[in-house]
Amino acid sequence: MSNSNVVNPVTMKDLKSSDPRWCTGCGDYTILVGLRKFMVQNQIFRENTVNISGIGCSGRIPHYMNTYGIHSIHGRAIPIALGVALAKPELKLFIHSGDGDSLSIGGNHLLHGIKKNFNCVYLLFDNQIYGLTKSQTSPTTRQGLPTQSHPSGAMIEPINPISFALGAGASFVATTAEWMGTHFVETLDAAFKHPGFSFVHIAQRCPKFNPTAWNFQDSSWLTFLVDEKNGIAADQKAAPDSKTVPHSPCSYEDAIAVSKDVPNVFGLVYQEEKPMYDKLVIDATKAQKQRSLDTLLDDYII
Amino acid sequence: MQKKKDFRFELLMDAGNGAQKAGDILIKAFAKKGIYVFIEPIIPAEISPPKRTPFSLSGAVIRLSDSDITNIGSFSDVVMVEHEILLERRFQDQEFNEGCTVFLDLGSKKRAQDAYDAVEKKVVDSGYNLVTFTIAEEAEAIIKSLNGNGKNMYYLGIMARLFNVDKDFLITFIRQTFKKLPKDKLDSNIQIFEYGFLANLVADSDCISFDGAAHKSEKVLLDGNTAVALGVIDAGIRLYAGYPITPASSIMHSLARLLPAYGGVLHQAEDEISAIGTVIGSYFAGVPAITATSGPGLSLKQEFIGLSVASEIPCIIVDVQRGGPSTGLPTRTEQTDLFAAAYGSHGDGPKVVISVANVDDCFYVPHIARYIAEVCRLPVIILSDYMISVSYRVVDKLKQCQLEDVKEIDDFVLDHFYLDRLPDTIEMVKENQNSPGIPDQMRRVTGLNTGASGAIEYSADSNHRAHQIRSQKIHAIRHALKTPERFGAESGDLLLVGWGSSRGAIEEAVQSLEADGYSVGGLHFKMVYPLPLNIADIFKSYQHVVTVEMAYGDSLKSTPFSMMLRSETLCDVKGLICEAKGRPIKPIYLIEKAQSFLKEVQHV
Repeated sequence: MSNSNVVNPVTMKDLKSSDPRWCTGCGDYTILVGLRKFMVQNQIFRENTVNISGIGCSGRIPHYMNTYGIHSIHGRAIPIALGVALAKPELKLFIHSGDGDSLSIGGNHLLHGIKKNFNCVYLLFDNQIYGLTKSQTSPTTRQGLPTQSHPSGAMIEPINPISFALGAGASFVATTAEWMGTHFVETLDAAFKHPGFSFVHIAQRCPKFNPTAWNFQDSSWLTFLVDEKNGIAADQKAAPDSKTVPHSPCSYEDAIAVSKDVPNVFGLVYQEEKPMYDKLVIDATKAQKQRSLDTLLDDYII
Repeated sequence: MQKKKDFRFELLMDAGNGAQKAGDILIKAFAKKGIYVFIEPIIPAEISPPKRTPFSLSGAVIRLSDSDITNIGSFSDVVMVEHEILLERRFQDQEFNEGCTVFLDLGSKKRAQDAYDAVEKKVVDSGYNLVTFTIAEEAEAIIKSLNGNGKNMYYLGIMARLFNVDKDFLITFIRQTFKKLPKDKLDSNIQIFEYGFLANLVADSDCISFDGAAHKSEKVLLDGNTAVALGVIDAGIRLYAGYPITPASSIMHSLARLLPAYGGVLHQAEDEISAIGTVIGSYFAGVPAITATSGPGLSLKQEFIGLSVASEIPCIIVDVQRGGPSTGLPTRTEQTDLFAAAYGSHGDGPKVVISVANVDDCFYVPHIARYIAEVCRLPVIILSDYMISVSYRVVDKLKQCQLEDVKEIDDFVLDHFYLDRLPDTIEMVKENQNSPGIPDQMRRVTGLNTGASGAIEYSADSNHRAHQIRSQKIHAIRHALKTPERFGAESGDLLLVGWGSSRGAIEEAVQSLEADGYSVGGLHFKMVYPLPLNIADIFKSYQHVVTVEMAYGDSLKSTPFSMMLRSETLCDVKGLICEAKGRPIKPIYLIEKAQSFLKEVQHV
């Protein structure tokens, strides 16, 4: 199944489906456009692509991409994606999930999805708030932020998604921001090329309920992790005042060390080729000596 | 020598001492001789509870007959028991027959003199025959050398002699069962067996024999869960996702060994919710898939079942029911997940529920479930129960279907579930139902309401239309359902109605009641949701209609099935014969209840 098609190249227009219904200024629009751009750049066939989501604002992405898609239930995109991966390994899978969907209701699936390292690109849309249900504390809400469920401010420190992914044994961990278009698409590109579960954390704006979460107008607070050989290049155009620090994504120790600077660092945090559960399962099945159905009951005859 | 036509015995030992193994060996020998067997293991919910406690009760109840049997029966004629505590515990269940012979091992009597005396007195006072024995010294020495293992082989020897089974014939089954044991250990086990055989606890005149004719047709020995696993493979299902739960796990164990050899994938999920999610993902991608669970898992899967309904992605769930609510009785039987299956998940989500009553049903139910799930594109829930899952039976070698395209399903499978072929075209909420990989048919599915195009729609008409179409799928099945299986009188004083594993008890009770001159019929459902259209007419042919259910009910609380039948037929259906004791419902209980009910209503 080739990804280039000279006769019918995939265009931005081909990828349009129904019109998005997000709020004005929502970061999900830029994610949607970035995803389409990435598919066009890589000429990924629509019919071989499945976008799978849970519930929340992020959950709507599959509806707006003219590929196959499943908008499933809250927190449970990963089990469905694994079913697709085991049934049809040739399909390209993109999972879309918010911070609540990923790290709260779907936490167990994320832990095991990362650990199983099955082949997919996982996009964690982190706006640090529950948006679709109107401003409740999420697992990544910064301590002290007043929300509808904690009017006096979120009580505990947020979960660090990068530490979570590294701790679970992720084979690919990157963090990017949707308003940095080039960095975002390049991150998707690296994630897609990586065999296994590619965990991509995306800083995502929610102008409605958490406008202070990410300051996209100023870039002096953010630092790009760069590596000449393996990293994702700094996006100076989108973030002119940003800093850069060298960081080798091959070192787990360095990845753990740099994860303490999340959410102020962006780039490829960690990458290592690891065994993939989907491949192991399918290979083990193929390696079995196949039996004829005619012999199914033979062992039970008395 | 006493010739028997129908006989039940039980072997009771501390968990981990091999009672079921000994039972398995014995029934294989019987089955090979053409005797019909039905075995129900007694298994504690824990793995190795402390020995010499009531919690450690483990064993096998075995019914034997010279003709086909459909249930475990009511009472045991012979009981072989390891020590006084297990005897005391099992005595409470009141399942010993009149004239029952109890073989009690006195091996522990020295340490529990009083308790032994008390239970021995109880047995004798109840009119049972008590045979006490101690294991021969030579055998005891070998058991000691095996670190206390092998007592079951001694008991097996006693039973083999009691049941007049040829010693060498039985040894072939010991060898077969323990083929993985090192030779010296295997020989030790056989020696212990031989000492038991020579124990001479019964006079020749008291030995028991059966008329068995070696089977003409090929026979298979299967338990319910193994039959489900084999049926899954024959039905062309190629992905199984599951999470460990008693008593469904053995389906996963069998498929873990077998499914890959037939090109299928076995996936152990991180939780119950994930397992059904993976089934739905696989089905969306075009590969038929199934999950199996028990009550707690069914609760956890409910939200995904709703997604399957709304998104029109098929999925198949096996629920091997156990006692509930909550953790309940993991290794006991009950039929109380009916509502959770038929009416579970939030909102109005029509789905299909099919039950199983025996090994044959277990083998063919994946086929019929796949047929309905794929033709109607909705979830199908299979209700088995603990009793069926672990009970062994000898049946004619099952005819395989090797199902690929569900439209090609064999008529005999449809007939088996009293279902006519469904219409070729059943309307879907969404017009496009294609799987990924097909160009220019890209589509998105969702739990949100959609119109025919598959796009989200919130309009009043669109939501109403979706409900209507989903309901009509169920109506199509309802129209295709034939009259379910009937027993006995086609009209009369009383109709006994049941579903799932009560079938055998109903059949036997109706036969017995009719033989005693009662005007009684039986009706048994395999498909429990939806129900066929003509059942009110059947009910009206009888003065009284009562259900038989392994569920609790009383005068102020209807049992689940009676409630369902009442609402579907507006007939007065009483949940009369209901028990939630965790044990299979006994034919004798049906007979006595029916007799006293008829006496009562006819005197009014």
